[in-house]
Amino acid sequence: MTWRHAPSLRRGLALLLLLALWESVSRLGWLDPFYAPPPSAVGQVIFELVAEGELWPHLGATTLAAFAGLLVGLGLGIVLGFAAALSPLLAELLEPVMILLNAIPRVILAPLFVIWLGIGLASKLALATILVAVLIFFAVYNGIKEVDRRLVERVRTLGGDRRVLIREVYVPSVTAWVLGNFKVAVGFAFTGAVVGEFVASSRGLGYLLQFAQSTYNAALTIALIVIIMAFVLVLFALAERLERRLLSWRYL
Amino acid sequence: MLRVRGLAVGYGGEPVVEGLDLEIRTGEFTSLIGPSGSGKTSILRVVTGLLQPLRGTVELKVAPGDVGFLFQDDALLPWRTVRQNVALGLRIRDLPPAVVDDKTEHWLTVLGLDGFGDRYPGQLSGGQRKRTAIAQVLALEPRLLLMDEPFAALDAIVRTRLSQELLAWVERDHLTVLLVTHDLDEAISASDVVCVLGHGPRATIRARHIVEIPRPRDVLGARRHPAFGPLLQRLWDDLAVELSPAQVAP
Repeated sequence: MTWRHAPSLRRGLALLLLLALWESVSRLGWLDPFYAPPPSAVGQVIFELVAEGELWPHLGATTLAAFAGLLVGLGLGIVLGFAAALSPLLAELLEPVMILLNAIPRVILAPLFVIWLGIGLASKLALATILVAVLIFFAVYNGIKEVDRRLVERVRTLGGDRRVLIREVYVPSVTAWVLGNFKVAVGFAFTGAVVGEFVASSRGLGYLLQFAQSTYNAALTIALIVIIMAFVLVLFALAERLERRLLSWRYL
Repeated sequence: MLRVRGLAVGYGGEPVVEGLDLEIRTGEFTSLIGPSGSGKTSILRVVTGLLQPLRGTVELKVAPGDVGFLFQDDALLPWRTVRQNVALGLRIRDLPPAVVDDKTEHWLTVLGLDGFGDRYPGQLSGGQRKRTAIAQVLALEPRLLLMDEPFAALDAIVRTRLSQELLAWVERDHLTVLLVTHDLDEAISASDVVCVLGHGPRATIRARHIVEIPRPRDVLGARRHPAFGPLLQRLWDDLAVELSPAQVAP
């Protein structure tokens, strides 16, 4: 395979080139290392964070909040989405609230959650939950409302009742919608956890980031951004594998 | 087998179909032809109970479970395999699993889908999807088969082969059929009776022709029968009148 046929190879090369350029410009003294520390300095900080083990409890705290929020958000979104799709009264009550929550940047609720729930895990979990729940609510609600009418009619002419329709049409259709949004949900859960920590906390990647910012430590800030990006990319890859596994009929 | 009296169908506003009478005798193959928008599909939907008529009655001599409906499109459950799709109606009828499996395999074979049972609809050609849809309906062994332009989306070769196969099963099992189609050749070569629906709104049946071609038939052979040409001409004349209301005689 030549380089022409490997986009990932070309992208990797471009990234390396950019880092090399950044490094050289820094070494030539054209960039102030206080604002833009060279990649080597950032790499040094990442290495120290990992080697000295300082990173792990923070990464653990953020991951716990994100995953708990993801689970609770998924559950809440699915239950409310189904309830709204099956009960017109509930839909009437829920839809405006959800549309409002969907329209605003939901992270503005973070300070409120800190006041209500304190600076511990609960407020991060609440923020991650609400970010995910609203997304999943619409995935389920629309998944049911916009289910392929032809499939519903097909099952009905074959003699299927409501129970059969739910099992054969609605649940698989909603599963596809939810899994289609799963990667975004993982990203949202992580956003909720990090932003929650950023606002007020005593540990977590968001807390470290806040600390780095308050001490004007650009190298640590960039190092944390790189770590968070790398971690989320790994989670995305896992989420994608799960999606391909559960929606195998779609990826043939 | 099926008797429709004074049927009116509409979706708000003027009825698409009004005052329609239609009778199909057991074992008879009837085609319904007519211009687009004349309500052909709506009539089938009323018979299957998917649509409530504004007025009129539909009398069926068989249980609703003995009515098979072959749709125009071939929408199958995309998350179920070909085998699961074919078995769907049998499973809905709560037959013992062994019977469901036997019948499913039988109909997969009959429709030439051997080896495709584990595929998903997304992996099939249009013809194979249609074959799956036909197997899904025929597996329930319907006594009345309703078809809404079932082969419209297929290319000419697949279309001719499939209609020939379907005709053979219909003749063998003496199925009663109501076929809605645009295709006059298809209507004549398969049917005992061809009904011409007028243009909407307030469409009703304008002409009823008996097809004097002996059975068993094959769809291509039927087109060479001496009765074919004159009937085709008559249907064209009927439709020419229906297509331009201004030409209707005073």
